[in-house]
Amino acid sequence: MSNPQHHPRYETLADFAAGRLDEARAVVIAAHAEVCEQCARDIDALEAIGGGVLANAEPAAMSADALEKTLAMTGAQIMPAQADERPRPASALDAYLGGRSIDALNWKWVAPGVHQHVMKAQGYRDGVLRLVKFAPGKGVPVHTHKGEELTLLMRGAYRDALGEWRAGDIADLDHEHTHEPIAFGDEPCVCLIATSAPLEFKTVLGKVLQPFVEL
Amino acid sequence: MAGGEKKAKAGENGRAMEDLLAAVAETGDRRAFAELFAYFAPRVKGVLMKGGASDTDADDLAQEVMVKVFKKAKLYDVSKASAATWIFAIARNARIDAIRRAAKPDLDPDEPMLVPEEAPRADVVCELKQRDARIREAVTRLPAEQREAMMLHFYADEPHSAIAERLGLPLGTVKSRLRLAIEKVRKELDFDDE
Ligand SMILES: [Zn+2]
Repeated sequence: MSNPQHHPRYETLADFAAGRLDEARAVVIAAHAEVCEQCARDIDALEAIGGGVLANAEPAAMSADALEKTLAMTGAQIMPAQADERPRPASALDAYLGGRSIDALNWKWVAPGVHQHVMKAQGYRDGVLRLVKFAPGKGVPVHTHKGEELTLLMRGAYRDALGEWRAGDIADLDHEHTHEPIAFGDEPCVCLIATSAPLEFKTVLGKVLQPFVEL
Repeated sequence: MAGGEKKAKAGENGRAMEDLLAAVAETGDRRAFAELFAYFAPRVKGVLMKGGASDTDADDLAQEVMVKVFKKAKLYDVSKASAATWIFAIARNARIDAIRRAAKPDLDPDEPMLVPEEAPRADVVCELKQRDARIREAVTRLPAEQREAMMLHFYADEPHSAIAERLGLPLGTVKSRLRLAIEKVRKELDFDDE
């Protein structure tokens, strides 16, 4: 895959590195960083800044027996290299797909040529994570964003007023944006969309569709 | 940029934090751990308290972070991150876990969830200790209000709007201080320079 051309806003990466994003958006950023060396580096750098802030921080005295309590809690147990408390899936999205491929999902019909698969993302801060698949020539109804929305293009391509988007590209839109992506090319376009608030459709068709989209 | 090589910061007894971590990983060295603890635990507690945590909560969470540091010592890779950066990531994840536990005590442990990485994602190109020392220097040079904004960004458990309210500042001011601070520090991180 060629390098992604569209990246998250730097603020979004800064929020990700600080653990400030809701679960759904964090998954989308992690999935993008898996295919985007540039953003992976930016996140590393931001984490190094978090470390720099820590090294510069003013110390606050720990309680008197803190070290003893801490050592007792470790039980002198050191985990073997390569192990982790929770096994890490190969990709950020895998845990949500439960080992299924995108093709094997139980896709729900939304509109002609448009299907979706909704996942609850209720990690540490709730968000909604959905995969939306639309056939070439089809699009997601015009909508604005009450909250923040992040879209990672997984397969195929789409076009909107801002340009062309291909696999690995991210659309990081704020509430001022309205967009209407239309898929093009030979295969259906599959997007991973994270929202921290329900989508708000602007067209009559969108309003009619809203109940089906399980928002 | 002025100045020549900067040495990685050493612990109180002159051993670099990275070496202390290696000693813990190899033999469970308690003295090395005690040194790490003396340096990092009060700093983790300090940033958490600045971020609004109570003394008790910050103390408990700092202990929890240091328990993880001990247990995970073998997972630390000195070629990929400085000790401070690695411990930052552990503290961040511990904080996220604490929020999760508090907000959702009934959450199914099998519920899918993202576990943010504690090791860098990219191959770090420039020399690591030097990079982290440069970042540390750059953070020291920031104006106090920018440093504060950055600390709260990384360690406070509240949205930027709440941080702004607590500081009695408009949200835009907090965001622009943060942006300026990150931009300044980022200049030290130019991966392609030299
Ligand atoms: Zn990117």
